[in-house]
Amino acid sequence: MSLLELRGVSVDYDGTPVLRDVDLDLADGELVLVSGPTGSGKSTLLGVVTGLVPRFSGGTLVGDVLLDDVSVVHAAPRERAHAVGYVGQDPLAGFVTDTVEEELAYGMEQLGLPPETMRRRVEETLDLLGIADLRGRDLRTLSGGQQQRVAIGAVLTMHPRLLVLDEPTSALDPTAAEDVLATLTRLVHDLGVTVLLAEHRLERVVPFADRMVLLGADGRVQVGEPADLLETSPVVPPLVELGRAAGWSPLPLSVREARRRARALDLVPPAEAVSVDPAPGVDVRRLSVVHGRTVAVREVSLPLGAGRVTALMGRNGAGKSSLLWAVQGSGPRQAGSVRVAPSGSDPADLKAGGRRSLVGLLPQQAGDLLYLETVDEECAAGGPRTRGLLDELVPGIPGDRHPRDLSEGQRLALALALVLAGDPPVLLLDEPTRGLDYGAKAALARTLRRLATDGRTVVVSTHDVEFVAQAADEVVVLADGEVVSRGPARRVVAESPAFAPQVTKVLGAPWLRVDEVAAALEGRGS
Amino acid sequence: MSTPAAVPVSRRTALVLALASLGGLMMLLWPLLLRVPPDTERIDPPFLFLALLPVVIAVVLAELSEGGLDTRVLAVLGVLSAVIAVLRGISAGTGGIELVFFLLVLAGRVFGPGFGFVLGVTSLFASALMTAGVGPWLPFQMLVSAWVGMGAGLLPRRVTGRAEIVMLVVYGVLAAYLYGLLMNLSGWPFLLGIVVPGHEQTALSFDPGAPLWENLRRFGAFTLITSTGSFDTGRAITNAVAIAVLGPAVLTTLRRAARRATVRGHVDPARTAA
Amino acid sequence: MSSARLPRDLHPVAWWVWAIGLAVAASSTTNPLVLLTVVAVASLVVFARRSEQPWARAFRLYVLVAVVIVVMRVLFRVLLGGGVGGGHVLLDLPEVPLPDWVLGLRLLGPVTRESVLAGLYDGLRLGAVVVCVGAANALANPKRLLRSVPAALHEVGTALVVAVTVLPQLAESARRVRAAQALRAGDERRTGRLRRQLVPVLEDALDRSLQLAAGMDTRGYGRAGTATPAERRVTGALMLTGLCGVCVGTYAVLDTSVPRLLGTPMLVLGVAAAVAGLLSAGRRVGRTRYRPDPWRWPEFAVMASGIATGAVLHWVSEHQLVVAYPDLASFPQVTLVALLGSLVGLLAAVAAPEPRPVTS
Repeated sequence: MSLLELRGVSVDYDGTPVLRDVDLDLADGELVLVSGPTGSGKSTLLGVVTGLVPRFSGGTLVGDVLLDDVSVVHAAPRERAHAVGYVGQDPLAGFVTDTVEEELAYGMEQLGLPPETMRRRVEETLDLLGIADLRGRDLRTLSGGQQQRVAIGAVLTMHPRLLVLDEPTSALDPTAAEDVLATLTRLVHDLGVTVLLAEHRLERVVPFADRMVLLGADGRVQVGEPADLLETSPVVPPLVELGRAAGWSPLPLSVREARRRARALDLVPPAEAVSVDPAPGVDVRRLSVVHGRTVAVREVSLPLGAGRVTALMGRNGAGKSSLLWAVQGSGPRQAGSVRVAPSGSDPADLKAGGRRSLVGLLPQQAGDLLYLETVDEECAAGGPRTRGLLDELVPGIPGDRHPRDLSEGQRLALALALVLAGDPPVLLLDEPTRGLDYGAKAALARTLRRLATDGRTVVVSTHDVEFVAQAADEVVVLADGEVVSRGPARRVVAESPAFAPQVTKVLGAPWLRVDEVAAALEGRGS
Repeated sequence: MSTPAAVPVSRRTALVLALASLGGLMMLLWPLLLRVPPDTERIDPPFLFLALLPVVIAVVLAELSEGGLDTRVLAVLGVLSAVIAVLRGISAGTGGIELVFFLLVLAGRVFGPGFGFVLGVTSLFASALMTAGVGPWLPFQMLVSAWVGMGAGLLPRRVTGRAEIVMLVVYGVLAAYLYGLLMNLSGWPFLLGIVVPGHEQTALSFDPGAPLWENLRRFGAFTLITSTGSFDTGRAITNAVAIAVLGPAVLTTLRRAARRATVRGHVDPARTAA
Repeated sequence: MSSARLPRDLHPVAWWVWAIGLAVAASSTTNPLVLLTVVAVASLVVFARRSEQPWARAFRLYVLVAVVIVVMRVLFRVLLGGGVGGGHVLLDLPEVPLPDWVLGLRLLGPVTRESVLAGLYDGLRLGAVVVCVGAANALANPKRLLRSVPAALHEVGTALVVAVTVLPQLAESARRVRAAQALRAGDERRTGRLRRQLVPVLEDALDRSLQLAAGMDTRGYGRAGTATPAERRVTGALMLTGLCGVCVGTYAVLDTSVPRLLGTPMLVLGVAAAVAGLLSAGRRVGRTRYRPDPWRWPEFAVMASGIATGAVLHWVSEHQLVVAYPDLASFPQVTLVALLGSLVGLLAAVAAPEPRPVTS
């Protein structure tokens, strides 16, 4: 018997179909991954299961949703809450109370459970997720990974049989993401909870998935074993890309499998790029940033070359954002100086206008930059070059669209165009890859490479190791506000397993990207 | 724009609102209504009303939320209350530059009279909780700002574009003065005392024995001297400027939110059953 | 020491009832000695039993407001009230007649002891009420108070909880947006800057509110049963009756030419019907509470001490007029009843347990 069943479900928003004739069966105790390009309706599918679609989203739903063979298609999300738990993308935005313990109890209070049961379940859940020492903490003071685990716990206390998660690791650093995923697999294995999970970064989740739902651009879905579906999927993790390039069948889904297959490959390693000393771009000297009593950045000295893309990596809270803001000159600085070539002036000494024509910064929440009602108005306010820049980045965005209605990638491009409008020789980007799918990330990587080729100094902070492999020349790893390693991407990434992309994990250094392997395979063939 | 009302107002709710407003108005205007036998020794301001008014407000709120508010409307209500509380917190102590009504008026306009009423109450209450400003004045403030929010929701719907902004500016100015006037009225007998035969009071104090006109004159002078000329005018100007300048942008933002908060997609039953 | 008095936060409602009792006491007298005693009692209890949470520090603000009220009262007397009636002239200020169009007012003039004292006494009364309310603000945890709103106001209470929770996030978002807007070109005028600040913050906040709503709804918020049409009709009838009663009662209290029967009895009836309506409206909500604030004997004791203070001083205002409203010509007197009555409030400090220490 299936736990939850979708029968012939179609959804359209104002006549635009998003899902078409979806049939899906979820059994007890399996982990099902939902994948597809951005805008293919992953969130919509999850919403149909939780009941948020169409009640919260608008649109029309046709078809039937069965929970334990009883139709619940007319039931609001709250009427499904006892069986279906939902964790959104940003856990902080979904928190209703302000301490961990109250948050865990909230759902049970709504269900009207007796106080003794609530007390017992809160304690059990605290232990199950390993967050017992956080019980009295203010939710806002928790790290991203802790917040995500509390959000999962807050749903688990209601003892749902199905857990629906929308990109639970998109904002987390690799280690925290692995923690959360390990928690999820444990729930599946130990408690028999069914997990339905949407995720952009497939490389993180595919090894854990029992089945996969692949959404196509036409709104139809394919359901099956991950290995089968990934043969033809338009979005695949680098591992699968590697497998395709090497012609492996069946495709490897874990690094271990791939390694075994890779032994047979005999490739000439890519030539070490001849490293010319770059022209000086930005010279950061003994920079320190202090927030209250915590030292966010401690005496960081960092020469950054012009014409290079430098990736800034490190855990959440390692000081990446603080460093970028301090370099830009808008953020607080305790000590130290920044010199931008060729004039050698420090952006912190300038007014806002001068600062941004010297150093551009794209903040983490790119939407913070936008305040007008149409794309055209934004471009007009940004300066004469903005529209042209935008069309270079992502052509064809309609000018009368509201900036908030754009897709993640389009909005990012608009924000980037606004930052680049002042033509700064230095460009800093804070976590730009959040919420982007593989296609959008590849486009961003190309953009950054082009900007660097034009002679700009580009610094990008990110958790995404695969993006680093595509975009960066150099990598700087921060920990606790200090630089712990620095150098060419190929070397730094090979040194630390946590930051190694999948290709490096499989083939070892100096391999970094699938296209290198593909080129080498081709070279061998000819 | 035909978005459904965020907080529906049924005929019964409207009746409750009207009765409560009448009661509240009497409690605010009591000095003008008070009629006592001429030989009264002593008159106290009716502290009783301070306790009664919260009950009246509670009844209206209970009635407005009786059918169960939509979760999204509730969340928007909470968030807007917090924003208004912040605006109030920022503008407090800057000499009459008060931005309280600007957002209340715009939100009442977009989300409708029922929402405006509730928002008026919750925003003032939230700001009082936050700045620890709960005091005897609070029920009166909540009631009057609830009227301001409700009134904004009752303005004619058909007016759009520039005319709408002009209308809202005018309403904002009126609301600012009216709010000041009513708050002064509620504080007047408390602040200046009440004239009792045999005891002297200030020439502007409330005199229950005097005719209505005389008391109006005294109150008029009091309010003119204390705030109408300064604080209230400051408040009126700031609100007018804020609505005129920020109004269009904020209205767009709020309307987008209102659309998303009141949209109800539907399950197609005919095709579902098939 | 009984387990009821182990360190914990007293139920916020108990503190509010206590404070309202004290406020009633303060509002029923103008005797400065009694008023100062009440203020002292409230302050002592605050110092003895407040926690280290931020709201506990607000007490100073209330005291400040009270002082401002008293000063205002006296100043108005001096400014506007001079020269009316007789009395001991303290200070003979020149009188400034204003032109006729200012309604024939006179400013300044001789300042009499009586007029200053009258202003002082009246001001003290309102100031004392403010201090009592301030005490409640400092002692009761506002968030826990919101959790104890009557069931009928559950929705509005939830909106307030949301507001209080969102507030720190708003501050954070405002800071972020200000920093971000400096990174792009745009409107540099003053109003334009305001727009650049406000619109993104508002968009962000409203986006969040929808996510929050999704979080609440999927966790079962509002799934409690609905009332039957009959129950709803009863609720509506009770509320309407209550409001009618309050309206008629209010008018009758103000206009003494109306039969007395329509006054206080009508008000009582109205409030009773309204409260019954609220209770009836609250029945449909079927939630439970995790670790509810217990209500044990210290809560009763604290509440009782406040109520007793209010009751005694109300009695004094009815039966000992000279004490409650002293003559301005002589030094005010106090009776033992009035003094003891106002001191009863101190028992709250003894009965209430120590607040729970703050842990980070």
